[in-house]
Amino acid sequence: MDRIDSLPTDNISGLRVRPGKPLPFGVSHVPGGLNFSVYTSAGECCTLVLFRQGAPEPFAELPFPSHYRIGDVFCMVVFGLDFEDLEYGFRIDGPFKPEKGDRFDPTQILMDPHARLIAGRDVWGQDPDWQRSYPYRARVSLDDFDWQGERPLEIPMQNLVIYETHVRAYTQSPTAETAHPGTYAGLVEKIPYLKQLGINAIELMPVFEFDEFENSRLHPETGERLYNFWGYSTVGFFAPKAGYAATGKSGMQVDEFKQLVKSFHKADIEVILDVVFNHTAEGNERGPTLSFKGLDNKTYYMLTPEGYYFNFSGTGNTLNCNNPIVRSLVLDCLRYWASEYHIDGFRFDLATILGRDPWGAPLSNPPLLESLAFDPILSSCKLIAEAWDAGGLYQVGTFPAFGRWAEWNGLYRDSVRRYLKGDAGMVGQIAQRVLGSPDLYRMSGRAPATSVNFITCHDGFTLADLVSYNDKHNEANGEGNRDGGDDNHSWNCGAEGWTENFGIQQLRRRQMMNAFAILLTSRGTPMLLMGDEFGRSQHGNNNAYCIDSPLTWVDWTLLKSNADLQAMVQALIAFRHQHPALRVNRFDGPPSSLLPCSSFHGSTAWQPDWSGESRQLAWMLSCDHQTPAGDATVDIVYVGTNMAHFASWFTLPTAPEGYGWHLCFNTGDNQQPIQGDQPRIDSGLLVGERSVVILQATPTPSPMG
Amino acid sequence: MQISKSQLHDWLVIHIEGQVDSKTSSKLNDYLAQELDNATNVALDLRQVPFMSSAGLRTLLLLYRRVETSGAALALVGLAAEIADTMKVTGFYDFFIVLPDLDSLQTSNKST
Repeated sequence: MDRIDSLPTDNISGLRVRPGKPLPFGVSHVPGGLNFSVYTSAGECCTLVLFRQGAPEPFAELPFPSHYRIGDVFCMVVFGLDFEDLEYGFRIDGPFKPEKGDRFDPTQILMDPHARLIAGRDVWGQDPDWQRSYPYRARVSLDDFDWQGERPLEIPMQNLVIYETHVRAYTQSPTAETAHPGTYAGLVEKIPYLKQLGINAIELMPVFEFDEFENSRLHPETGERLYNFWGYSTVGFFAPKAGYAATGKSGMQVDEFKQLVKSFHKADIEVILDVVFNHTAEGNERGPTLSFKGLDNKTYYMLTPEGYYFNFSGTGNTLNCNNPIVRSLVLDCLRYWASEYHIDGFRFDLATILGRDPWGAPLSNPPLLESLAFDPILSSCKLIAEAWDAGGLYQVGTFPAFGRWAEWNGLYRDSVRRYLKGDAGMVGQIAQRVLGSPDLYRMSGRAPATSVNFITCHDGFTLADLVSYNDKHNEANGEGNRDGGDDNHSWNCGAEGWTENFGIQQLRRRQMMNAFAILLTSRGTPMLLMGDEFGRSQHGNNNAYCIDSPLTWVDWTLLKSNADLQAMVQALIAFRHQHPALRVNRFDGPPSSLLPCSSFHGSTAWQPDWSGESRQLAWMLSCDHQTPAGDATVDIVYVGTNMAHFASWFTLPTAPEGYGWHLCFNTGDNQQPIQGDQPRIDSGLLVGERSVVILQATPTPSPMG
Repeated sequence: MQISKSQLHDWLVIHIEGQVDSKTSSKLNDYLAQELDNATNVALDLRQVPFMSSAGLRTLLLLYRRVETSGAALALVGLAAEIADTMKVTGFYDFFIVLPDLDSLQTSNKST
């Protein structure tokens, strides 16, 4: 039987229509037509603007009659539209009084903030028609993907090994040898590699629709085109970036991205999205009017009393996240990605902004962060905060967590970097870091997995550059090397940049292995940066946000030339997965049947040297566990680190009765990872200068067999 | 878009000419709904289809679900390379038996 509301009641601009429903916001399919719904608190009237795909001019403009408005929501069903050949937007009229925060401008066509499919930047880097009105165009998506029972994986946080990736950079290079370079499909082709590497979560730098041409310019000296390459500037919060899809030109990015998630889940790898809610692509008062500015400027943005834009994000504007309207938008958005795309977790760029009130002051109990923490749809999603912002608020350790939020631990990065290069006074710091930073998280009742441990991420040096450069070299960014951070805690090992010196090359290689050895034996949640496992370099550029060239693209030939490093990382990840003692998710974990849950040592067992000049620390981690066969056993791992410039004899803690020490890794030995039988170590071993050893104690076979 | 049918071995072959998109997919849908009233193996001859939009691919998947329910097989014949590629990266491809030409129908096993 047909529904009563499947028939039109009115005719506007030659199209058959009827009053719509306010929910859901955006566009949705109803019998025979499409329901359009948009809200504006201060807009006075609204017009729906319809285009054929790619057409310069609209084919219809439909003013909403006054009785099509419910509250602040304009809604209308339009019948007989070909949804595939349709692009739509809105015009909203109202006051233009910037000093009061209102910037209505009916000459602008505004994108639906709930648009799930956006046309206009369909192929990466392809020059758009700059004269065309309404550059980013909302389209209609079906959201009927066939998941065949696939669900989010819900891997416990402490068991994750996260791998941070940029969709385009990962496979754009011809050396990636993919059929679809630089796309979601290209990334899917790399799943077998990632599976073999052993990571079980991939964190994608922004994939919400953005414009690579935003602030695009030519390098003043080289003339090279600079882009918004990283994409930390959202155009549409509900739409995957079309230019990252091999099928973007046919508008199938939604299906392609869902297929990506499905493929990763089949390989038991979670997908975490880096989401940017702190600002939008509309910039400040000089920026373009794309959507929010014309829909409800003072609702969406933090404004000064004079109507200018607060700039806590460092990029022009700041989204007014604790306004109830914006809060709902963020919640709607994340629920959509979690339910419709099966996303496993979110990393929030400059998340501290999400905890500021509409005037910028930090809230003690931010409603948005609380809503996300307790949301029923998001309840099994990982929530990871970048717990600082460009307004100077640094909340690592104090981010309002509501028992749910994890954090990028910037202190972990800084402490380990400084320890690696041999800074004095770091041993005490390292002891905190490798246990999941209890100094930051224990008091507030949080767990080690709260701490996302990383040494490198997209922002800053790659690991190879961290051990090859003392200073940043950002000339390629066209800002005279003024951009990018100066507090890199890096050490070039004796020469700046590329060198023929074999000794320096060897030291760098060892330092990279040391970094991975510490990272992957620390409690907490480790995160690696794409390509670091085979020594990816950006030639000292620590802020390559605007470079779309081989400088930023992953060079897959390094996988062969640095095969030993890659094999080491792969073995370390496997080691982490095998050893629950490394993943204990309690600060006051119970002792195992034989040993404390964690203990510290120096070159002498049970006697760590906490003095300022000490550059040696060892930690032993232990817990009870059951083997896959069901046998009760005790997991025991010992990690000895020597960041001094001389070798030292480390005596080992006596292995419990019936257990013996075996050497699993020694970065001071060129033959890494250790092949074949792991050598038995009795009482101690020589740990070379700037080296890390990792041992496990396993039951010794009884002579009786 | 033109649609015709023929019989080859135990396959009902639907020949399609022209592009399948939101404008033509309902015509194809209606045609198939009429033809598919029993458990017949169905082959879609797509050699003369240069382009399929998102709506076109959805029609294929709907058809697959219908044929699957009836316990019969569905084969796509002569898929253009570009369509096949789009189907692969968007996940549609995995559902179908894909054959290069009509001759392959003789040897294809319904249960594959």
